[in-house]
Amino acid sequence: MLLKPKTSILQKIYLPDIIIGLWITIKNFFFGKKVTIQYPEERRNYSSRLRGMHYIKTINGVENCTACMLCPTVCPAECIHIVAGERPDKEKYPISFEVDVLRCCFCGMCEEACPKDAIKLSNIYEMSMLKRSVYEKDFLLEQRGHK
Amino acid sequence: MPKCIINGKEAEFKPGENIIEVAKRVGIYIPYYCYHPALSIVAQCRMCAVEIEKMPKLQTACSTPATEGMIIKTTTERVKKNQRAIMEFLLLNHPLDCPICDKSGECDLQDFSFQYGDSFMRSSEERRTYVDLDIGGVIKKNMNRCIHCTRCLRFAEGVAEIHEMVAVKRGNNIEISTIDDRPLETDYAGNYADICPTGSLSIKDFRFKKRVWYLKKTPTVCEGCSRGCNMEVHEERGTVYRCVPRVNLEINKYWLCDEGRFNFKYVNSENRLTEPSIKSAQKFDFCDWSTAIEKSREFFQGKKTTVLVGSDLTQEEIKLILDFIPKQISVLSFFHYGTPGVLFSKDDGPADRILKMKSKTSNLYGIEKLGLTGFEKYSPQTGAFLVFRGGRASVPDLGGIPTVGIGVFQKTIIENFKIILPGTTFVEKDGTIFNFEGVEQKFKRAILPPGQSKNLSEIFMLWAHLGAARRAA
Repeated sequence: MLLKPKTSILQKIYLPDIIIGLWITIKNFFFGKKVTIQYPEERRNYSSRLRGMHYIKTINGVENCTACMLCPTVCPAECIHIVAGERPDKEKYPISFEVDVLRCCFCGMCEEACPKDAIKLSNIYEMSMLKRSVYEKDFLLEQRGHK
Repeated sequence: MPKCIINGKEAEFKPGENIIEVAKRVGIYIPYYCYHPALSIVAQCRMCAVEIEKMPKLQTACSTPATEGMIIKTTTERVKKNQRAIMEFLLLNHPLDCPICDKSGECDLQDFSFQYGDSFMRSSEERRTYVDLDIGGVIKKNMNRCIHCTRCLRFAEGVAEIHEMVAVKRGNNIEISTIDDRPLETDYAGNYADICPTGSLSIKDFRFKKRVWYLKKTPTVCEGCSRGCNMEVHEERGTVYRCVPRVNLEINKYWLCDEGRFNFKYVNSENRLTEPSIKSAQKFDFCDWSTAIEKSREFFQGKKTTVLVGSDLTQEEIKLILDFIPKQISVLSFFHYGTPGVLFSKDDGPADRILKMKSKTSNLYGIEKLGLTGFEKYSPQTGAFLVFRGGRASVPDLGGIPTVGIGVFQKTIIENFKIILPGTTFVEKDGTIFNFEGVEQKFKRAILPPGQSKNLSEIFMLWAHLGAARRAA
């Protein structure tokens, strides 16, 4: 059984409601505050704690990372893959350091776990790529961000 | 039995037992560095000091035998203060390079520092450093991490029976090294890394390969010789990274020889055949299982076959072979093979004074129980050989007679083989073996077989199944 809602005569003829609705639309469209920005030209200020693109901090060109494997251990997405090795000037260093960004959930736990202040998440959030890619060590060693 | 009271718990003990062991039995753990149940007692780390009623000072639990009615307290403020002090003292000169160190995750110093030590450090002085020299192919020394527990010295003296490790200089400058910095000579060098409570002595082969907390540990039995030492296989995702000894006081105590420790290498070796292969001209062609089994059935038709069973197989597998093979092919005789020069168990004997045996395969005694004899010479009627190998037995000279191999084969040792059906190694199967004392030991599968390798029972199942399909057609 259908229950008919009780409606007043004004609602039944629709017109006043349509006028009210149109007025709200017109008010917001012409006089309201804009929600969008002209993105590539204009940019928003994000918090300095934003977790964006990864990088490995270097000091005098030497990476801080000692391949202790704490970041792959703590990573919930299992997106960090490190192979450790030895070289004359550094007892243990990462031969390869890969961050599979497609798996990464930007939780920042790697940064938190790192005992050597090596892996960092910068402020860069524009990370779209033309192909699916893994951040390799050379790419990660570019110093970006100010943390 | 006499009784003592530890932390209010009543504990029975045999006269002469020290407090650490008695406490361990009632579930109270007393931390220690220099003590090791199989080594002599020096009581020099002082970590195990406990309070004993009616004794004015703290007593080291490792060197104090329990006596009747002794009242021991291991968690009083005095004991804790001592433990904190010892930890601070040991960490004064420790480099704290846990991110680099391979021991971290299973390091006594790390664990006890977390549990009994302070989380801050008062010292700001420069740490003592050493220059490390190479001490051989097995062990990497890092003297900076050493806490001078001297377990390694006592192991060399008391167990390995070779005086190669010494402590030079004195007091703060003490340094553990080999005599004249010669490389280590003992065949038991891997144990130095196991007993070292810090990362001071670590295994070169395992260096930086894997952090220990990733490794999955499966108890197994070493297949290196007829001693059958108990060990643990540490693997991750199908790759075996290392083997460490497992305590069994009746067989290997706490130790493992280097041969057994590094025996696992062939499991993940590139040299191992893991696909069914048929020889054509000079090289092996990989094929699928049905082709390989069809071919091997054809191969054995009308040929008198001598079956060689490696004494590195398990009891279950040998029994399966003895039951299955005579029904499928015409068998001339069964023999076992394994170590050149050790044909029967009476040829076997200790190869050194510690663990090693002359028979380099694990199940020589079990295979003899099943009635096989050692392979000396083959009958002239032999038209073909069928060789079963578990990965360790050394295949004897077969005189160029065409051979089919089932089991684990390296690419280098298969000269006159026609067909290879890849089998499983000791870490990829369950089984039972008998050691030289007749002790029956079971072990469990640790990893899955790589590539196309199959268990012997699966191979035989395929063999029988394919035959049935052909007969029906």
